[in-house]
Amino acid sequence: MKKLLALMLALVMVFALAGPTAFADDEITLDVIICQYGPNTNDWFLGTGMDGTNFVAKFEAENPGIKLNLEVISWNDVHQVVDTRIANNNAPDILNIDTFSEFVPDGLLMPVKDYCPEELFGDFFPAFIAESVIDDTVWAVPDLASARALFYNVDILDEVGVDVPTTWAELEDVSQAILDFYDGEIYPWGIDMTTDEGQACFAYYAWGNGGGFTDENGDWALNSPENVEAVKFAVGLVEKGYTNPNPATQTRYDLQDMFAAGKLAMVIVPNQLPTYVADKGGEINMATAGIPAAEGKTSSSVGVMDRVMAFKDDSAPDQAARNEAIGKFLEFFYRPENYVGWVSMEGFLPAVNSAVEALVEADPSFEAWLDVLATCQFYPAAKAEWAQVRQGVTTVEQEALIGGDVQAGLDALQAAVTG
Amino acid sequence: MTVNAIQGKRKWEPYIWLLPSIVLIAIFVVFPILIVFKLSFSEISQGGVVGGFIGFQNYTEAVRLPAFKTVMLNTLWWVLSVVGLSTVLGFIVALVLNQKFRGRKIARSILVFPWATSLVIQASVWNYIIKYEYGSLNNVLLNLGIINQAINWRSSYTVEFIWECGVGIFVTVPFVAFCVLSGLQSIDGSLYEAATVDGAGFWDKLWNITLPLVRPSLTVSTVLNIIYVFNSFPIVYTMTKGAPAHKTDTMITYLYMLSFYERKKGPATALSVIGFLILCVCAGVYMMGVMRKEEEQ
Repeated sequence: MKKLLALMLALVMVFALAGPTAFADDEITLDVIICQYGPNTNDWFLGTGMDGTNFVAKFEAENPGIKLNLEVISWNDVHQVVDTRIANNNAPDILNIDTFSEFVPDGLLMPVKDYCPEELFGDFFPAFIAESVIDDTVWAVPDLASARALFYNVDILDEVGVDVPTTWAELEDVSQAILDFYDGEIYPWGIDMTTDEGQACFAYYAWGNGGGFTDENGDWALNSPENVEAVKFAVGLVEKGYTNPNPATQTRYDLQDMFAAGKLAMVIVPNQLPTYVADKGGEINMATAGIPAAEGKTSSSVGVMDRVMAFKDDSAPDQAARNEAIGKFLEFFYRPENYVGWVSMEGFLPAVNSAVEALVEADPSFEAWLDVLATCQFYPAAKAEWAQVRQGVTTVEQEALIGGDVQAGLDALQAAVTG
Repeated sequence: MTVNAIQGKRKWEPYIWLLPSIVLIAIFVVFPILIVFKLSFSEISQGGVVGGFIGFQNYTEAVRLPAFKTVMLNTLWWVLSVVGLSTVLGFIVALVLNQKFRGRKIARSILVFPWATSLVIQASVWNYIIKYEYGSLNNVLLNLGIINQAINWRSSYTVEFIWECGVGIFVTVPFVAFCVLSGLQSIDGSLYEAATVDGAGFWDKLWNITLPLVRPSLTVSTVLNIIYVFNSFPIVYTMTKGAPAHKTDTMITYLYMLSFYERKKGPATALSVIGFLILCVCAGVYMMGVMRKEEEQ
């Protein structure tokens, strides 16, 4: 009797293991990793946040031969999870993340043209697609974007009797006026040089001084005189007492909280700030303006874009069917009735033309941001050294905050990434 | 069955009982350690793909990193201060909790809280407490009239690192206290009575009775704490992420930043092996020292 039971148990285990392949060999399962953009992401993809149902259920109902094994992973963990899976030869089929260039040299990604339907590809903003090109090949498509601009507390500036600054000199004058008027009770300017956002801070000031991460040929130009001057100016704002006191550890969210509480007069943050302030219960009379630039230099908006990419899987029995399934996933995701809900849910900006009209109709304030987005500069994320540069410029800023030499720091970083 | 056959069978019995633990340790401890050793001698791409053998290249790159020296010194201070001070404070707390007083059970229960709460939550709560703008510490001091204006409790990276060590001590003291308390409760009360009759004072009894008899408990808690504190990640990562410029990083947070922020996975793996070896040596030397002393006694 015991032997019979053991045999039955063994058979059950064998069938349980063999099940997915033995009985569903014509079905394709796509492993999908999505980053958690906010509290609603998980609910939209896996819960009931999409008209009472979710993305996975709707997609599978429309595509009976394709199953989605979709995980929503927090930004804190996603790089660790992806790296571990790659190291174990178990990369996801579809990945939503910020950077892509680190996967290209190892030949891990598929070119977008292999799986993205042509009509959909033509729908992406060309300027966005251009940010995901290495060696004339498009390796990822944008999933959404955000644009950064200067937000200011209208009431504070009115009370002090100053206009919103457009140049660095005006920024210092306005900051001094706010500091004097409120006797230091209100921070005039928010600055974030934390480990997660130092590269954004570098971009705000370097681009506003005619510098930047790269030169006109696209080569690294981190130690240019403009960049050195920009970092020194930013650190000077801290030293003069115009900013929040601990820029190396006070994150963008700390600044947004201060702004929502009326403790901070001006700050450069993404376009979602009004939603954030409303969620916090703040009632701030706020407006936006261009990021102040050095005298005679052009103000530049900073755009941040995330991407969707597909990994190769040589073990897939039918590559064409797999590519087609990935294409169907993208087509379904970017379909206006789905995509508009996704983008507007967390207050982001779209990456496809077909969503613009519906988004502006739903929220007219989007239109102004779409104009800002059109003039944005993006991080050079297509360059293989981007991860090192991102952390490198942050370290230089943080060193400068404690008395480090900006020129020496940027020289060393330039040598490290080009040597 | 002969006696010899039974004895032969018995000889294997302990190993059979130990087998499940040995298998689990081999799979979840030994195997990953061997993998990390292998990785540290391999080329690892930014994307995480493991290449061929490259000798000690990852190690030389790791020790030449600009932040290496700062991080090693920070780690030394971090382990010494957290383990050392929490051992002293935990010992004192245990002595107090071993006395009979009203509310002792409640006091013992409360002591568990810092230890039982997640380290990320602890670090986040302390972040809020010492926040300059809306922190509870400033609020309390202002409301009590002790200070006239808010104090920036994070005015320099040295101060931030001291706060991190402070939080580390706060969450480690309960563990030491309970380890020592278990040792204290096993001491026969008649020893103290005899010492009192012989005219011994508080310090004599502490030095000659209490300390020698709780030494095994202290050894266990110290060795475990050296390992836990050295490998502790959440407090530093939550409070500063090593900022500014790795000045508050310890080895564990630094190798995480190196691996997942800068994508220098090879040197990060080499650092983790270096950390493992340091830990083995420190814990081993401490254990041998204590055991030798016990044998001498």
